Amino acid sequence: MLFLARFFKSIFLVDLLKGMWVTLKYTPQPAFTFQYPQERRPVAPRFRGVLRLQVEPETGAQTCIVCDKCAKVCPDELIDLGGHREPGHKIKVLDYFDFNLSRCSFCGLCAEVCPTKPVKALIMSEDYELGSYSRNSQILRVDEMYDGVPIEKYTR
Amino acid sequence: MGLIDHRFSDNFITTNLDNVLNWARQSSLWPMGFGLACCAIEMIATSTSRYDIARFGAEVFRASPRQADLMIVAGTVTKKMAPVLRRLYDQMPDPKWVISMGSCSNAGGPFPTYSVLQGVDKVVPVDVYVSGCPPRPEALLYGLMRLQDKIKKEGTVLRRERVIMAGQSEPILVEDRG
Repeated sequence: MLFLARFFKSIFLVDLLKGMWVTLKYTPQPAFTFQYPQERRPVAPRFRGVLRLQVEPETGAQTCIVCDKCAKVCPDELIDLGGHREPGHKIKVLDYFDFNLSRCSFCGLCAEVCPTKPVKALIMSEDYELGSYSRNSQILRVDEMYDGVPIEKYTR
Repeated sequence: MGLIDHRFSDNFITTNLDNVLNWARQSSLWPMGFGLACCAIEMIATSTSRYDIARFGAEVFRASPRQADLMIVAGTVTKKMAPVLRRLYDQMPDPKWVISMGSCSNAGGPFPTYSVLQGVDKVVPVDVYVSGCPPRPEALLYGLMRLQDKIKKEGTVLRRERVIMAGQSEPILVEDRG
């Protein structure tokens, strides 16, 4: 009797169909792949992307007071900034802000110590699309710090 | 491909052949997984069904350098690993590219020490640097797209090279060299 049952099982491919049924069960599900360049997944609120300088939202004035705290706190000494005093300005005018992205480990210490209020001058933005063709273009200058990192075009 | 690489001057057939070959190369980049540290986890996540690097034709992670076109150096390269990395790069067949993934392989990262190589470009020529610590899977896909842009502009059968002439600092495009 047992032999007969095993015989019919193998004739009608019961085990194979059982296995195929497991696969078939998952087939009608929609795919959960993110179509990345078309759709962008929202990042977590505490996500730390590339550094960015902020201006005051209404006036567009500079908020960085050139206190050099971010440059001092950076464990890898990646930030270099400087400014000068000008009559008529309450704060120092920012001349240059060089941020060497290549070594950065995105720890966020620089944004944490930034003392400016109510608009923080230095923030960790949500930008993570960083790809460059050379090591020179990984040093972000002050205009890239304000506007975000542009998409680099390859020229030959 | 080595027989026709950089052999012909500019004309209708070669420019179109160039486009076809570059299209074929950019849409089937077979990477060699060179996972060395935490960036490797993100590289693996990129090849899962959530991000699906197969959409770019780069899903076949080869264990052998002989079958790979692209080396994704993901992680801290120590000085002990550097000769191995160079040997594996030399074993790859010739149209080959390198993506340096993460701060450690870009420039040494937070390890300016005696044992860590300060940037993988000291041993192999790097095409695209992907910044991040570690980069998100999307960032790696972005780097891959930047590499595809680069391959699109390469002269495969045309004789075009970027050469730095003596006394110059910027490279210029040389159309025909003897």
